[in-house]
Amino acid sequence: MHRERLENVVFRAGYLAILTFMLLPLVVVVVTSFAESGNLAFPPENYSLVHYRAFFEETRWLSAFDNSLLVGVGTTVVATTLGVTAAFGHEIDDGRAGQALAPLVLVPLLIPPIILGISMRVYFVRAGLEASFLSLVLAHTLWATPLVYFVMRSVFSRFDWQLLDAAKDLGAGPIRSFVYAVLPNVKHGIFVGALLAFIISLQEFVMALFLSSRSTETIPVVAWTEIRQSLDPMVSVVSTFLIVISLIAIVIATIATNLDWLSKQLS
Amino acid sequence: MSGTQSSSSLPAPIARLWEPLRERSRSNRALLLMAPLLVFELLLFVAPFLILLRISLTDGSQDLRYAPGTWSISGYTEVFTTDVLLNAITYSIKLGLVATAITVVIATFYAYAIWRAEGVVKSALLFSVILPLLTTLVIKTYAFWPLLSPNGTVNGILTSLNLVSEPIQFVPGTVGMVVGQVYIVLPYAVLAIYSVLSTMDWGIVEAARDLGASRPRSVLEVVVPQAMPGIIVATVISFAWSVGAYAAPGLLGDGQNQAKAFALVVEKRLLSNPQWEVATAYAVVMLLLMLVSIVLLTVTLNRFGGEFEYA
Repeated sequence: MHRERLENVVFRAGYLAILTFMLLPLVVVVVTSFAESGNLAFPPENYSLVHYRAFFEETRWLSAFDNSLLVGVGTTVVATTLGVTAAFGHEIDDGRAGQALAPLVLVPLLIPPIILGISMRVYFVRAGLEASFLSLVLAHTLWATPLVYFVMRSVFSRFDWQLLDAAKDLGAGPIRSFVYAVLPNVKHGIFVGALLAFIISLQEFVMALFLSSRSTETIPVVAWTEIRQSLDPMVSVVSTFLIVISLIAIVIATIATNLDWLSKQLS
Repeated sequence: MSGTQSSSSLPAPIARLWEPLRERSRSNRALLLMAPLLVFELLLFVAPFLILLRISLTDGSQDLRYAPGTWSISGYTEVFTTDVLLNAITYSIKLGLVATAITVVIATFYAYAIWRAEGVVKSALLFSVILPLLTTLVIKTYAFWPLLSPNGTVNGILTSLNLVSEPIQFVPGTVGMVVGQVYIVLPYAVLAIYSVLSTMDWGIVEAARDLGASRPRSVLEVVVPQAMPGIIVATVISFAWSVGAYAAPGLLGDGQNQAKAFALVVEKRLLSNPQWEVATAYAVVMLLLMLVSIVLLTVTLNRFGGEFEYA
């Protein structure tokens, strides 16, 4: 009995330590954003909103915020469209093309973003799309699509395909039967996929570092260049906003599905 | 789904590509649905990579960024004869292996804890994985500065407890860099293992315990082999991302780490060195090495898992 209790204590201490390790860095970021002094100390000695005021006066951060949103929305639209249609096609016909698609979509995730960034920069320079929003959207789509695609494959695989056949038997065309028979049953999955695509785009920075210019730089890119110059709580302020956005996204996704389902889709 | 309509109206070269695909698929419509993503991957992933490959094979003897139209393997020769580049390759693979080993052990334990937990605790544990996963890399790495720097929180605790007399310099340095990298890949590894565990039947573990296996033993001999598919995915992801790590060495590493981390070496070569063929050849070599190591890792782990099943 004694041994079992000891095991319990060790087990619990173990996962609580990891829980702390997982959340502490994010807590540090949020708390230091309220620091009064300019140096990065945790916990800070005095608290104030001075860095938040500075954030709203800094046009570079604000325009980066706009850029991030623009690229994020663009990525969401393109990645969701590509991912949903391809997963749907793959589900109704698991032919040769479908078998080639899955690894092709997955491999970019395993290639260091620095290599993708370099190759796309060379490529976009040739295509005349250097430092454009479009190049950023396309690069982020390369990373966001696999998630949408695999989420949708798992959603479609649980869908009752007889519903689609029934709609067709009743005379609905392909678009009508998709909209009325399939869509209502998979809309949560599409929503979560789109949300993930948006978040992926919002946080990606290595490719963006290579593909953006001063006028198209996103928030992580500015954060990266700022941090390399000096560590100051302004980055914590921006980070806090991003963490809050992620929090909201998780809450929305949890309401749409549940945490357990979401966690399985992310893996 | 009987889309057997003729595609003879397509232009000849496209029809030549399309026909074999169409013949092997059951329907045109499904193919049309998959086509946009296929085209996207070809245009945005395969084509840029082929260009990268082509640049790595240009002649570097002319004093240009790259000399279009020339063919040479001088870029590759330079990669394999330059100590700095070779050292960076071994260093990055070592970093990948260390970060992966730490990550997979912690991730397996944590995924198991999530699987066993119930109610609020389970939600809290899952949440602690998803939130960092959805937070940008820059911020996650940056957060370790106030924690690990010489006058940071961890050193404050250590000195106030009299565990160390002098603050330890975790960042910038190897320790901070590895901790940061583990933090970056851990959520992905945990979820990969958890998603496999969650489909597993707890009854098997209970049976092992009823037959006299201790708890650690039942986990090692029953849970781990069953979770092997997830552990393999976790290993592959951790390794691939740690070898190519950019943020952790760039932000938490010291000059020595930065001079050896592959991603930073490539970047430096590309931006400061006017010879692109070396940088691109280096990227290609690194990519091939990574893919080979990933295959080797997967095969080894598969065999390992197989043996475990009979233990």
